[in-house]
Amino acid sequence: MLIFSVFKTLTDQTVSVELKNDLSITGTLKSVDQFLNIRLDNIKVLDEGRHPHMMAVKNCFIRGSVVRYVQLPAEHVDTQLLEDATRRETAATKR
Amino acid sequence: MDASHSGIQEPFDLIRLSLSERVFVKLRGDRELTGVLHAYDGHMNLILSDVEETIMIVDHVDGAPEGHATVNVAKRKMEMLFVRGDGVILVSPPSRT
Amino acid sequence: MAGLQPYVDHRVLLILQDGRAIVGVMAGFDQKSNVVLSDSKERVYSMEEGVEEIPLGLYLVKGDQIVLIGELDEAADKAVDLSTIRAEPLPPIRY
Repeated sequence: MLIFSVFKTLTDQTVSVELKNDLSITGTLKSVDQFLNIRLDNIKVLDEGRHPHMMAVKNCFIRGSVVRYVQLPAEHVDTQLLEDATRRETAATKR
Repeated sequence: MDASHSGIQEPFDLIRLSLSERVFVKLRGDRELTGVLHAYDGHMNLILSDVEETIMIVDHVDGAPEGHATVNVAKRKMEMLFVRGDGVILVSPPSRT
Repeated sequence: MAGLQPYVDHRVLLILQDGRAIVGVMAGFDQKSNVVLSDSKERVYSMEEGVEEIPLGLYLVKGDQIVLIGELDEAADKAVDLSTIRAEPLPPIRY
């Protein structure tokens, strides 16, 4: 839930999603759901010469389970807020 | 059995006490990360900053005897990174040395 | 929500867990992101020859096999001469 909320705050920011097939896709985060499925707009695939498969694709839906990493815009992430929220969430789920 | 004064009763407590500290993360696919831990959840999804990733690439040389392989190491840095928990093998707190 | 509704009746590219790329018109989907494509074709990439399109017709893809669904810009897609494209097939997802 916490991570889902973080992604929601990053809507309309630029992120880079690296998949478990080594494909890296940069785009504008349009939406995310509870499974961390991600919708990206204005996408660009890293190393398009080697991966021309998505040349004509402008926006896409990525299944959360195939994501390895998402590079986030650091200036839009409040790390103190994250740490506090993480502590609160772990305290709440413990009981 | 009272471990409460150390604050550690279950495995996730070790990660909780590493918040805002630099941690070492071992991942599937011969990958390792170090970075400052800012968030995690029960799936071991992580958010790290100031991340350095190390990928071990093992090249098996054709015709070379068994066990003779060259290991190449690729490194890269990322400012702020979400790591999906299903790839995480271990999270290690900062070394106290 | 990162739903698939916007893709219905649009020409899409599906990338599957085993690395296959399939294009078709999304006829429908369900809660598990199972997808029905009409007029679908598999695009087979290789370094030796141009992209080969294999007609599949009406096709049901199980949701858990899907890596990514991308909306195809039809004009951009038609502008690409597939016979000139040389690329390795996408690698399969490795967990």
